[in-house]
Amino acid sequence: MNLLQTLPWAVPGVNDAFFDLSYVLQLVTTGLANGAVYALMALSVVIVYRTTGHMNFAQGEMGTIGCLLVFSISVERGVPYWISIPAAIALSMVVGAVLQRTLVQPVERRGGMGVVLVTLGLFLIINAVDAVIWGADPVTPVTPFPSEAGDRFIILDGPPQFAIRYSTIGIWITLAVVVGLLWLLLQRTRLGLGYRAVAANPESALLVGIPKDRMLMLGWALAAGIGTLAAVLFSQKTGSLDFNLMAAVILYGLAAAALGGFDSIPGAVVGGAVVGLVESLVPAFFSFIGSELSLVMALVVIVAVLLVRPQGIFGKAKVVRV
Amino acid sequence: MTLLTVEGLEASYGPVRVLHGIDLTVERGEVVVLLGANGAGKTTTLRALCQLPGLSTSGRVDFDGRSLVGCRTEEVVRRGIAHVPQGRGTFPELSVEENLDAGAYLRRDRREVRQDIERWYDTFPRLADRRHQSAGTLSGGEQQMLAVARACLSRPQLLLLDEPSLGLAPLVIQHLFEIFAELNRSDGTTILVVEQNATLALSIATRAYVIESGQIVLTGPAAELHHDDGVRRAYLGF
Repeated sequence: MNLLQTLPWAVPGVNDAFFDLSYVLQLVTTGLANGAVYALMALSVVIVYRTTGHMNFAQGEMGTIGCLLVFSISVERGVPYWISIPAAIALSMVVGAVLQRTLVQPVERRGGMGVVLVTLGLFLIINAVDAVIWGADPVTPVTPFPSEAGDRFIILDGPPQFAIRYSTIGIWITLAVVVGLLWLLLQRTRLGLGYRAVAANPESALLVGIPKDRMLMLGWALAAGIGTLAAVLFSQKTGSLDFNLMAAVILYGLAAAALGGFDSIPGAVVGGAVVGLVESLVPAFFSFIGSELSLVMALVVIVAVLLVRPQGIFGKAKVVRV
Repeated sequence: MTLLTVEGLEASYGPVRVLHGIDLTVERGEVVVLLGANGAGKTTTLRALCQLPGLSTSGRVDFDGRSLVGCRTEEVVRRGIAHVPQGRGTFPELSVEENLDAGAYLRRDRREVRQDIERWYDTFPRLADRRHQSAGTLSGGEQQMLAVARACLSRPQLLLLDEPSLGLAPLVIQHLFEIFAELNRSDGTTILVVEQNATLALSIATRAYVIESGQIVLTGPAAELHHDDGVRRAYLGF
């Protein structure tokens, strides 16, 4: 069914195929699948930002190295993925906490922009280390979810066909589980209370005896674990893995976090979905925007949010009494 | 018995020296008030006692027979000091109940914490009505009640109060100071309070110190300072 053909006039610059239902649904599904990965990256950004007030630009690269480790352990050594993936996540959590304690905390005490430079430096270093150890050629990643061409539910037979891959559903379920566990941890445990108290008022948190430094390490550990998970899922989605796996994804994650307000967990999830949909629908709708411009869309989202609503959709505007 | 001994306490924010050798003692069971003008160093004294980061300190601070110098703030709290900071310092995004739970962060006796929280709800029924509201929505008086209750949930031996009357209505102030006197009388909590309102503070205190430009310039029993005309004119402004 082509809706465009029912219109009495032609719409310039608009892709005809956009008015086919199957095609649009397929784009939405693709957008929401990528969006779930962006949401995970946005969650990592938010978890670090809420307590420390800074962004970890190396979050994506930390995920990439975790994902490459999974590849080495499982594909090269034959260890099953259900061991290698949790092991890589656990290891990256430890590394995240150690990096926070040894590199970020001493620099942060001196104030200023030091932390931003440290995380940017980490970004470049980890990226280079990945290339040195694993080489620059893409490899076939570990796929925790079924990844054959036929592993999908066909919902509307085509052409054009509308189908949902099993792996896409797997990514959505993973995101839901991560959000659920995070909610339980933050809202229902003593550790989570300590984390939220530090986010709300760091000095008062110290004054009731909460070890603030350890809560900052906890934030980095959680973010690193989620980042590695995001990288594993994204490599399954693209079917190819190299040292640049997450270089663009972190930008989409930052856009999603900005959209959600930088300090809101639901905001990160909705932000991820919106950024994924924008990335998938806008280039398809306007034929003059090629898919190579899709990264620009992420930057447009960031700038638009900062201009129109700096606190994001779900963020709270900071009220300071003087 | 002496609970807190401070000798030659110096403190600086970066290159700026704020305290130039504070000497004071607090006996167990006392209410001691620290008076002084704006900028004299009252708040800094309390912050230095808690070893808050951002402040470099030197000198002797002994609490309950052991030194606090170089401890982390969480360790100071664990040792039995609770601090109600100036401007309340509640956790605005957390509910009233979560604020109180956070106050008991270091305690493991969950049942007794529950009982303590209920007791504070009896003391401040307005907090009980708002227990699921976020603390940021409370009025100034309610926030101060919450801050006091939160500090007391760590079951401190020494309670530090920084300008508890600031910006509050007279009736609320009166209620709070009754609670402080009651805490001291029945729970035996030792209190060190910083106040601008000298008359009010001297009315519940046993002893007072007057601080000027980062040094103690005067000390004595509260009643004496309260009635000495020369002292009142020179230091207390009433």
